[in-house]
Amino acid sequence: MPEKKDVRILAYESSCDETSTAVVKNGREIESLVVATQIKSHQRFGGVVPEVASRHHIEVITQITKEALAEAGTNWADLDAIAVTYGPGLVGALLIGVSAAKAASMATGLPLIGVDHIMGHIMAAQLTDEITYPALALQVSGGHTELVLMHDPLNFEIIGDTRDDAAGEAYDKIGRVLGVNYPAGKTIDAWAQEGHDTFHFPRAMLQEDNYDFSFSGLKSAFINTAHHADQIHEQLNKKDLAASFQAAVIDVLAEKTVRALKQYEPKTFILGGGVAANLGLRTRLSQEINKLAQQPKVIMPPLKLCGDNAAMIGAAAYNLFEAGQFADLTLNANPSLELPYAASMLN
Amino acid sequence: MKILSISTATSNLSVALTENERTVAAAEETDRRNHSEHLDPLINQLLKQAGWQLADIDRFAVALGPGSYTGLRIGVTTVKMFASILNKELVGLSTLAILADNFAHSDQLVVAALDARNDNFFAGAYIFKNGQPTNVVPDGHYHLDKLLAAIKQAAQEQGKKNVILAGSGLSERSEALQAALPDLSLTFAQDQDNQVHASHLGQLARSAKILDPDQVLPRYLRRTQAEMDWHRKTGKPFGQDSDYVEEV
Ligand SMILES: [Zn+2]
Repeated sequence: MPEKKDVRILAYESSCDETSTAVVKNGREIESLVVATQIKSHQRFGGVVPEVASRHHIEVITQITKEALAEAGTNWADLDAIAVTYGPGLVGALLIGVSAAKAASMATGLPLIGVDHIMGHIMAAQLTDEITYPALALQVSGGHTELVLMHDPLNFEIIGDTRDDAAGEAYDKIGRVLGVNYPAGKTIDAWAQEGHDTFHFPRAMLQEDNYDFSFSGLKSAFINTAHHADQIHEQLNKKDLAASFQAAVIDVLAEKTVRALKQYEPKTFILGGGVAANLGLRTRLSQEINKLAQQPKVIMPPLKLCGDNAAMIGAAAYNLFEAGQFADLTLNANPSLELPYAASMLN
Repeated sequence: MKILSISTATSNLSVALTENERTVAAAEETDRRNHSEHLDPLINQLLKQAGWQLADIDRFAVALGPGSYTGLRIGVTTVKMFASILNKELVGLSTLAILADNFAHSDQLVVAALDARNDNFFAGAYIFKNGQPTNVVPDGHYHLDKLLAAIKQAAQEQGKKNVILAGSGLSERSEALQAALPDLSLTFAQDQDNQVHASHLGQLARSAKILDPDQVLPRYLRRTQAEMDWHRKTGKPFGQDSDYVEEV
């Protein structure tokens, strides 16, 4: 049997406040990964400012292209395709990656692949371990909170989605109340490890017979508690507040995930997205899955692959490459790109 | 020398291939909202028309700004990548100089302006000697009143009585502008002369300074609102761009 030729993809990611390039071999091996983060800039404003983000992306785009190739010890002639996140995300930010990838494709003659950012986050798992299908992914980040059923490496369906705020967004908003610098997730997670759930915030939609989430009620309850304490000059324990908030978030995420695991009995469970770096969430999900009769293989990518990065885009792009799903030079940024919803979600 | 010139600075998407004085191929798409979709296919179409390959281009030229921030970044990112990957020259010119170049053979003062809403303009004024532009009201972001004062002063200093105004947001105000500048005779550019043309960029690009593709950035001529608010609130200096982006 002839040996299959290796497939090397150069990938771009610029959907929010990280500009990243990577060379990925066969959708599984990271040969290089460069991430330029703008966190320091957006900390000035307490959150990501889209126009500022776009301006930073263009500052580094050619340099990080060269760095990804150099770090991988490769050149354009060794590559098989160029991939890029084309949505969802901030339109101006996405356009830097999309324009760069298209120009690179034109200049080199390499085929172009457009990748959904969420599919990319989930495919960080493929860089960690082999996914056996069907698989179920809980994708949690600053912009998204979704349960995704994966039939194969290409066909994904959303079975649960947030009705309002994303989980990561709620962390940043209550972080502001607690005086925690953006992004707040890491600090709140650390405080939560030391505090106790004393405030018993509401667990929204926990009893409802669907896989949807809602975090705006929790956020409001948290803010009201903090403001009320302020008015009566009462000092609340920040660590207990953090622990109470985090417990409410994790209860809902874990409960709905376990319910979906029981219904769909996937062979693999994947935790993806920036909030997947949360220690409390990782621990709780592992514990719950250990109690299941039918235990899926669990893939929780290392922290470096949970945040936005181009390696995950290269991993997802490989699956599209194998399926012959290429983009042409009319590829455009699509800020509201969405994975398809499962039929049961469309009522 | 073969030059590929691109302007994505305004709603007019303009691409041209020039070889020395000759425009070999040029195309424009007016009133396009999304240059991202159309730019690369348009470049390919012109290359095919001319029988050139992208690798045949010796120099890439782009309208650096001012203009639509998003639009500028599409064009600038594209030429940065082309020049960087193909190891070719990159030049960038003021969008306003390209616009003023529609009147390169005039001996009048040429004001080029892009409407920035609420009586503000990205604008500059130029005079031409032997077809080469000199920027006499520096390209900047001006309130209309400041712009008028600057035009008046430049006309005086350059000894010009006749002024041509080109770009967007000006002809609609022709009466008010003429009333504000009673000593000058104003002519408002018509139709195509109000547009930025890549074929003109291709000519200006021949003598332009070569830039480093890694360093070149759009000339926004304006900080973001968020940065200005932050600066006003904290009194802190803006800092270098490189202070804010770090590889992790
Ligand atoms: Zn993300």
